[in-house]
Amino acid sequence: MKRSRRVVLTMMGTAAVGAVSMGFSRTRPCGPGLEAVPGPDDTLYCRAIHGGFGGAMHRVHGHGHGGHGHGGHGHGG
Amino acid sequence: MQRIACPERDDWQATAEQCGFDFHTVDGERYWDERAYYAFTLQEIEVDIEDATAEIEAMCLDLVECALDDEAMLRRLKIPEPFWPLLGESWERDDRSLYGRLDLSFGGQGPAKLLEYNADTPTSIFEAAVFQWTWLEQAIERGILPPRADQYNSIHERLIERWTEIGCGRQLHLAGITGDDEDAVTLAYLADTAAQAGLATTVIDIEDIGWREDGGGFVDLDDQDMALVFKLYPWEWMFHDVFGARLAEARTRWIEPPWKAILSNKGILPLLWEMFEGHPNLLPAFFEDDPKAATLGPSFVRKPLFSREGANVSLVSGGIAVAAEGGPYGVEGFIRQALASLPDFGGVYPVIGSWLVAHQPCGLSIREDATPITGNTSRFLPHAIL
Repeated sequence: MKRSRRVVLTMMGTAAVGAVSMGFSRTRPCGPGLEAVPGPDDTLYCRAIHGGFGGAMHRVHGHGHGGHGHGGHGHGG
Repeated sequence: MQRIACPERDDWQATAEQCGFDFHTVDGERYWDERAYYAFTLQEIEVDIEDATAEIEAMCLDLVECALDDEAMLRRLKIPEPFWPLLGESWERDDRSLYGRLDLSFGGQGPAKLLEYNADTPTSIFEAAVFQWTWLEQAIERGILPPRADQYNSIHERLIERWTEIGCGRQLHLAGITGDDEDAVTLAYLADTAAQAGLATTVIDIEDIGWREDGGGFVDLDDQDMALVFKLYPWEWMFHDVFGARLAEARTRWIEPPWKAILSNKGILPLLWEMFEGHPNLLPAFFEDDPKAATLGPSFVRKPLFSREGANVSLVSGGIAVAAEGGPYGVEGFIRQALASLPDFGGVYPVIGSWLVAHQPCGLSIREDATPITGNTSRFLPHAIL
């Protein structure tokens, strides 16, 4: 609320944001990471399309199980 | 408060895309819409919106204090009992909040009324803080607005100040669903403001967070400890997701902090009414199973405790549902809130988003819809103080 203010961005811009841009849809009644699909009784429920917090359970480190890319678990939301 | 039609800048799409705002148009429909703006007087901004926002925030913080000492309240909010200590400890430590947005009904007459509080994962902050300001500056330069025009907006500098208080020099991880454009822009923008405050930033998908088995703790893709994390991911989801069970044993400090799980719940609306009945900025509200809900009569708004983008909200007038949004929410229960008719500006209904950073009111955004329920197809219009 002062006309002298300056709003400066140092990192954002086409390149930075485009790198994580994968197509946008605002029609997402469940919120990001979930999609609404009809259930058996025709009511909507949310189905995970994203693993969520801890969704990539292979990323548990220590005791010789460290490292990335050992898939096979998770994505069950 | 007026809605004033105006010419749009002929290069606004290119300007938006240059600064990373690439979801200005969605499925061919405008999300950012500058063919009109809302004009306010300084009195409306400072008294009706800014003061009211500060007062509502103070009531909300009182409510958190009470709820953490009252198991019955936490049960009413359907917050899972195993997480109560996490909430309480974060409150006792005074874990800091970054931001939030109150949605208010206000049309220029009478007090602003709280519709709900987006306390945990508010989005649209980039449009509010940056692109709306760019519009103001260019609209003045191009004669669309008079030279004296101003805007209620210090969101950007307040964010930088708050990040400085939270952790200048520290490593900050920003986690969310990076494949979603709106969330990605929010994360990128907040990372930018944090970097300007002197924090080292890393953006990570919430799914890519790992756990260090020996010694415990959350780690990033480089196995670095995640000591300070901004998460654009609702607490109620974190509680139920796989790593929810690890939250208590991790030393991570979260932004927003766990105690914000209370304020992001629509159950605060009846609880606020119970504590501050008759306050001019509140609407009567009750849990649906409370016999007092009948006192609202046949006209009310029905909202699930947890809901986003207007999903499963229905507007009942004279016993008849006049507008309803479908969706998957409602399992945890509903609240009923007195009907506050949104101001009608010629067939469009604006909702005021009143922004807080570090609990201080600091800016405004407006979403406008052709129905009285603001959902995920509503448009963002800029505002000016004239």
